[in-house]
Amino acid sequence: MTMTTNTPQECSEFQQQLPDFFDSGGDRIEHPHLNTCANCSALVRDLNYIATQAKLLMPIHDPSPAVWENISHALGKEPTARRASEDDGAP
Amino acid sequence: MRTTDASPASGPAQPLAAEARPIQQQQRRNPPIAGELNAIALAQAGDGASFEILYNMHKRRVYSLCLRMLGNVAEAEDLTQEAFLQLHRKIGTFRGDSAFSTWLHRMAVNVVLMHLRKKGLPLVSLEETLEPTQEDGPRKDFGTRDLTLSGSIDRVTLERAVQELPPGYRMVFVLHDVEGYEHNEIAGMLGCSIGNSKSQLHKARMRLRSLLRESADGRADA
Ligand SMILES: [Zn+2]
Repeated sequence: MTMTTNTPQECSEFQQQLPDFFDSGGDRIEHPHLNTCANCSALVRDLNYIATQAKLLMPIHDPSPAVWENISHALGKEPTARRASEDDGAP
Repeated sequence: MRTTDASPASGPAQPLAAEARPIQQQQRRNPPIAGELNAIALAQAGDGASFEILYNMHKRRVYSLCLRMLGNVAEAEDLTQEAFLQLHRKIGTFRGDSAFSTWLHRMAVNVVLMHLRKKGLPLVSLEETLEPTQEDGPRKDFGTRDLTLSGSIDRVTLERAVQELPPGYRMVFVLHDVEGYEHNEIAGMLGCSIGNSKSQLHKARMRLRSLLRESADGRADA
């Protein structure tokens, strides 16, 4: 296949539809434009790659010990374990 | 012996990693924790030690969420504190309809969003038009070795780039791509349309792409 014949207009139209393609097509976007456009193929590959890497960002950050100290300090001043029925604004 | 390799030799772009469905992602992020149910029941009955156990089980996840959404350690710690204080007030209302961590996590998201609203920050970034990307000009040399980012970014680089996103983009990106929420849930949380959530996510990824390419270029030049 040749990767040379795309006009900025075609790329622009394709890229405007990308959010919907991603939403409906998931990781596998199939579109004729991708068969002929190296630029947009690279773009789709990168955006997929970013989304995939983001899923791998696990919770790895720890709060400092001061956070629990503050919580337990504040709880010392709160009435302990209010019943659900007493809690305003609870769903 | 002939090995049957599943990797495609050619053809359209394929992501390297297996695709993770939201449900699997939720399960991966909310694995059952031994002793959690017991600790919840005791904390609901007012046992402080059990509440501390729950804190230690979930602090990392709640704090990581706050930090990624806010991009600021001091604020993230304040809001982690606020989320757990709210948990303490509301734990009696937890009925076990969803996983505890899903329930707690949603509470933490709401605490962060409430905080941002109070600060008067727009939860959704102003609409900006995206120029179609074209490979031209000085970026070409990036492509001589490898046209795409694949394989070139590590976790630290990605985390750093996420922090450079405008707050509205970062919010949607963290909620959707990192935390696995669906667009309809995000639209509900942020009070925007589903289309808006989709377009914000797309723009966030586009911005990340250019940030990551800059960073890859920087390393190539170094
Ligand atoms: Zn194109």
